[in-house]
Amino acid sequence: MIEFRLDGRSGVAPYLQLIHQVRHALRLGLLREGDQLPKVKDVAAGLAINPNTVLKAYRELEYEGLAAARPGIGTFVTGTLDGGSLAAHGPLRRDLQRWLAKARRAGLDDESIEALFASTFRSASEEGIA
Amino acid sequence: MTAVIESCKLGKRYHSMWALSDCTLSIPSGHVVGLVGPNGAGKSTLLNIATGLLAPTTGTIEVLGTPPAARPAELSRVGFVAQDAPVYTALTVAEHLRVGARLNPRWDARLAHARIERLGLNLKQKAGTLSGGQRAQLALTLAIGKRPELLILDEPVARLDPLARREFLGELMEAVAEQDLSVLMSSHLVSDLERVCDYLIVLVVSRVCVAGPVEELLATHHLLSGPRRDPDQMPPGLRVISASHTGRQSTLLVRTSGQILDPAWTVSQVTLEDLALAYMKQAAIRQLEVQR
Amino acid sequence: MMWLTWRQFRLQAIVATAALAAFAIALAVTGPQLASLYRADGMTTCGDSGCAALAGDFLSDAGSYQIMYGLCTVGILLAPALIGLFWGAPLITREFETGTFRLAWTQTITRTRWLASKLVLPGLAAMAVAAGLSLLFGWWAAPIGQAARLTHGSFPLGMGPFSLPDFDAHGIAPLGYAAFAFTLGVTAGMLIRRTIPAMAVTLAIFAAIQVAMPLAVRPHLFPPARTTVAIGSFAGAEHVGNGHFSFNVMDLPSQPGAWIISSQAVNAAGQSVSSSAACEGRGQNGNQCLARQGVQIAVTYEPTSRFWPMQLAETGIYLALAMVLAGYCLRRLSLRRY
Repeated sequence: MIEFRLDGRSGVAPYLQLIHQVRHALRLGLLREGDQLPKVKDVAAGLAINPNTVLKAYRELEYEGLAAARPGIGTFVTGTLDGGSLAAHGPLRRDLQRWLAKARRAGLDDESIEALFASTFRSASEEGIA
Repeated sequence: MTAVIESCKLGKRYHSMWALSDCTLSIPSGHVVGLVGPNGAGKSTLLNIATGLLAPTTGTIEVLGTPPAARPAELSRVGFVAQDAPVYTALTVAEHLRVGARLNPRWDARLAHARIERLGLNLKQKAGTLSGGQRAQLALTLAIGKRPELLILDEPVARLDPLARREFLGELMEAVAEQDLSVLMSSHLVSDLERVCDYLIVLVVSRVCVAGPVEELLATHHLLSGPRRDPDQMPPGLRVISASHTGRQSTLLVRTSGQILDPAWTVSQVTLEDLALAYMKQAAIRQLEVQR
Repeated sequence: MMWLTWRQFRLQAIVATAALAAFAIALAVTGPQLASLYRADGMTTCGDSGCAALAGDFLSDAGSYQIMYGLCTVGILLAPALIGLFWGAPLITREFETGTFRLAWTQTITRTRWLASKLVLPGLAAMAVAAGLSLLFGWWAAPIGQAARLTHGSFPLGMGPFSLPDFDAHGIAPLGYAAFAFTLGVTAGMLIRRTIPAMAVTLAIFAAIQVAMPLAVRPHLFPPARTTVAIGSFAGAEHVGNGHFSFNVMDLPSQPGAWIISSQAVNAAGQSVSSSAACEGRGQNGNQCLARQGVQIAVTYEPTSRFWPMQLAETGIYLALAMVLAGYCLRRLSLRRY
């Protein structure tokens, strides 16, 4: 079963963080179709967040077709995310490794690499490419 | 949706000072309501009136449809944990549960004992020797064990260390999830409430500044930063809550139901804490002006 | 709620039981000794006339028991005050000071029922303790009481059934005092809301009332009896000289143990007099001179037969006061003015 975490300082709404974590787990294969998502009350108790937040996240996942609620039993994963597992993206991974090597040779440290990636990713998203 | 608490121009005066004035609220059920404000703003006064421990000076209030604590039947529907979680120091944990069972017809002994066991409290330990966090948990168990419809908590986590605080709020959220409970809790720190509350009331200098669902508040309040601008020059339909200026830059916290169309402004998300603080500052400024 | 009341009262109950037990043991140990002394001095076998003389001897033989008598009397007089202070005053103030009233008043119980429960158990216990003390002491001191009643004129230990400490420490009066002191403490606590000040106020008011009652109320409970006696036929102080005289009757031989309320020198016509020119400067013979003038002493008193009626009346008054205070507390609490 997936275990949720919350980053109070990321500025991202808690329910979105939960959704992201479910999707991330699905992509990594940690969550598979038919797995049960943690009960609302357990998540609320464990993270000390409002149960409505958890409900909202689960409902959003249901809406996206990734989960389905079975009344009285719980919420279960029903879908997968396209793209299969990350392992299928071998060429992309190799390209990325090459780029990282180049960045290091250019003298960038870890923080600079992350900042460069984040800002490029953001501006690219805004332009509607990513 | 029914209202758990409905008040109209509620006021409480002590000698010549108004601890609470002109308080008109309609708090919907099914929410975890956070009541924030600086110390002395009137939070405890409001909560004590809602539980029937204090009689108001002016105005009316109805809790779950009736005046507070009018009859035992009403008393059984509201659970209360007062500031500093008072308990009978000479009684053991088990004896406290017995008090709860004897004094409340809807007491759920299985639920209460299950909680105590899960919390790891020693049944035979005298309540006076419990830590602050354990006392708060005991008081919460007593309030939840009577299966109330509304739970009122007065600064429940103010004196607790971070771990105890997290555990207390976790227990509270579990009860909310399990029992379909409405909660009204006060704190002078917004950070305590941010994760758990979905309805916010800000109380400053005995008055209500803002009240509403958190989602709606966060959607209608924005932080604008841009070139220096006088708040009065802002377009109508946009209410400036707080403004701070440097030489060439202004940062405004505004409330609006519409969109910010002016491209000069960089619009960013507002946190609940920023929101509450802005209102508290505004009220404090207004209070100073009134006094002058 | 009764269970909670008991649980909160448990420590005080244990202390009271221990004190009562110690009292009982002390009396149980010395009581038989006193009784056998009584027998040994022939007090049980003497006829009516012979007893009077033996009584005096017995009382001096029992002199060593005087301290015990005094201590017990003091103890019984103090008990109601202690009950008011330690059972009454903290009853509500403790809940105010620890904040537990916020816990209690939000349970499914009205404040009236809460307070009524908290009053009943300690209140009844207070009366039981007082009654127990009085009963035990009455049993123990019976020989001394009997003897003192028979000796005319001299009352060792300052005893007569009406003398101040004895009336208050005998019979059922302590019951009334205990109930009143308890409810007085509770009322003070409810109004003052702090334990120590409430205790102080309770003590002050209770002491004042205990002093005022025998002085101002008790003499008027029943119409007193009146009689006139000849000069010299009573026990008490006489002051004759310089033509002025006053008489202070302490005891009437014809009414042993009676409570003398007042005494006045009166002339043959019944008017009070305090000076006589005719008897001026007679010195030793002043009394006889006055007697020849027809001066007598008018005495108002309560006979010993009035002892139990007075006890009942006074206890009734105190119990009524206790009820009034309890009713006031219950009513005021339900008005939600806090």
